[in-house]
Amino acid sequence: MRNFAGYIMPLWYKTGAKEEHLSVIKHAGLFDTSHMALIVIKGKNARKLLQQTTCKDMDRCIGKAKKPLTPGVATYSLYMDENGGVIDDAIIFQIDTDIYICVVNAGMGDVISQRLLKFSPGYNLEIINLTDKVGKVDLQGPASPKILKKILLNHSILEDMKFFTFKGYFEETFKTTSEKVLIDKNIPIMISRTGYTGEFGFEIFVDPKYLLSLWDMLLHAGQEYRLIPCGLAARDSLRVGANLPLSHQDIGNWPFMNNPWTFVLPFDEHKTSFTKKFIGSNRLLDISEVSFTYPFVGYDLRKVDINQNAEVYNREDMNIGKVLSCTTDSAIGRNEIGVYSVTSPDKPDNLVIKGLSCGFIKTNTMINEGTDVFLKDKRRKIKVTISKAIRPDLSGRKPLREFL
Amino acid sequence: MSEINNLTFPKTLFYSNDHEWLKLNEDNTLSVGITDYAQDQLGDIVFVELPEVGKILNKGDELCTVESVKSVSEIYIPVSCEVISVNTNLEDKPELINKNPYDKGWLALVKMKDKSELDALLRKDQYMNMLKGI
Repeated sequence: MRNFAGYIMPLWYKTGAKEEHLSVIKHAGLFDTSHMALIVIKGKNARKLLQQTTCKDMDRCIGKAKKPLTPGVATYSLYMDENGGVIDDAIIFQIDTDIYICVVNAGMGDVISQRLLKFSPGYNLEIINLTDKVGKVDLQGPASPKILKKILLNHSILEDMKFFTFKGYFEETFKTTSEKVLIDKNIPIMISRTGYTGEFGFEIFVDPKYLLSLWDMLLHAGQEYRLIPCGLAARDSLRVGANLPLSHQDIGNWPFMNNPWTFVLPFDEHKTSFTKKFIGSNRLLDISEVSFTYPFVGYDLRKVDINQNAEVYNREDMNIGKVLSCTTDSAIGRNEIGVYSVTSPDKPDNLVIKGLSCGFIKTNTMINEGTDVFLKDKRRKIKVTISKAIRPDLSGRKPLREFL
Repeated sequence: MSEINNLTFPKTLFYSNDHEWLKLNEDNTLSVGITDYAQDQLGDIVFVELPEVGKILNKGDELCTVESVKSVSEIYIPVSCEVISVNTNLEDKPELINKNPYDKGWLALVKMKDKSELDALLRKDQYMNMLKGI
């Protein structure tokens, strides 16, 4: 068990972190993520406040056509500070025309609520901090829809559910325009096709009084599909492998730029300006300090310890930056051609997958994809390759019909 | 992670404060490994960097590193010795330490310089009391 932002949470359950990591990629895993904080923003100016405090342009963010966010759709965004740094990341769910729910990180419910209040005098909004008032479980992995189908009362709701959409509501106050979604006849849930693993799956929001029964019901229904409970260690290794940042570690109070996640920024077609103004936007467009964040993949599964000030060196042994995250993705292996996942259709038969170290580094110089650099902590020096992404063939965005 | 009482600590072994076990073999060599408590705390062990055979170690020197999903840990040898052989099975199957810490999960076989150094080590009850904070 570990204290994580004030919550005592398991690093792993009985089967161990490696098995949990692999299970999410091959079968399914269940995470208790009730530590995440929810904030409701209600009122005519809700969108205006979100446009001001977060960087995603909610009028131009959905799909290739850059359509506006609409009820029933969610988007990933960042609460920015005045210097273009990140206060926290968030998934913003548009519940109705003037109602939004933001899911922010553990311990950030108060900070973000206060910030929203600070920037909304005269906006006539209701800002409700639901920290510790909503239960949340993440069902992740390719078997998720089959498991849900067994216990959803109206399982037809799954059929047309696209990536980053949601249905149902966990409380009458936040009724969506969509129909009520019930588990086992009487448990109302809000369910979204989102997650923090890169793999196909759902996040489920529920009144805490139903949380334990929902957890047990899912585990029971998932038995035949090899569903297992998963802890923090697997959550971390899966999200790194999926190229997803951890707030306050891979993104934080330094200018948000030159990293794998700049798709969140509202660049115009020329990539020189933004389509909207937001807190920190001027600073980001006029920046003197330059840093670069890159994903990396190791040559074996040995990692360095970020708590020992692990640093980055180039071939000339010059210190060029620091390691932000470093973990082992046990589902990947590499040969001279590339990196493969246990689920990669083109995985060579003779490749034995034992796992590879991976993570993110922040450097003071630009590095090309495919370049090898060295990571050093007090104990060891490991060679890693700068890469565009980490674990290939993620299932997260694939159409739902492939998994039913 | 498990309760102390659910873990195994054989009576015949010596234990160190740093959670290694040592077994005195009939030929006076010592087998060395990490305890059930240590493997349970570390979680899935994914990599072991074994020492070179023939390496001379002083009491307190680093014997090897054991890498788990959570962290990398140095294993310190509690007696002065020479490494006679290492468990090369761990190179392909580091999980043997989790599954069988006192047998198939052994790390190294060493020859002691001074047998009296064993006197400073803990026996089962002392080690368990240490774990329980008694």
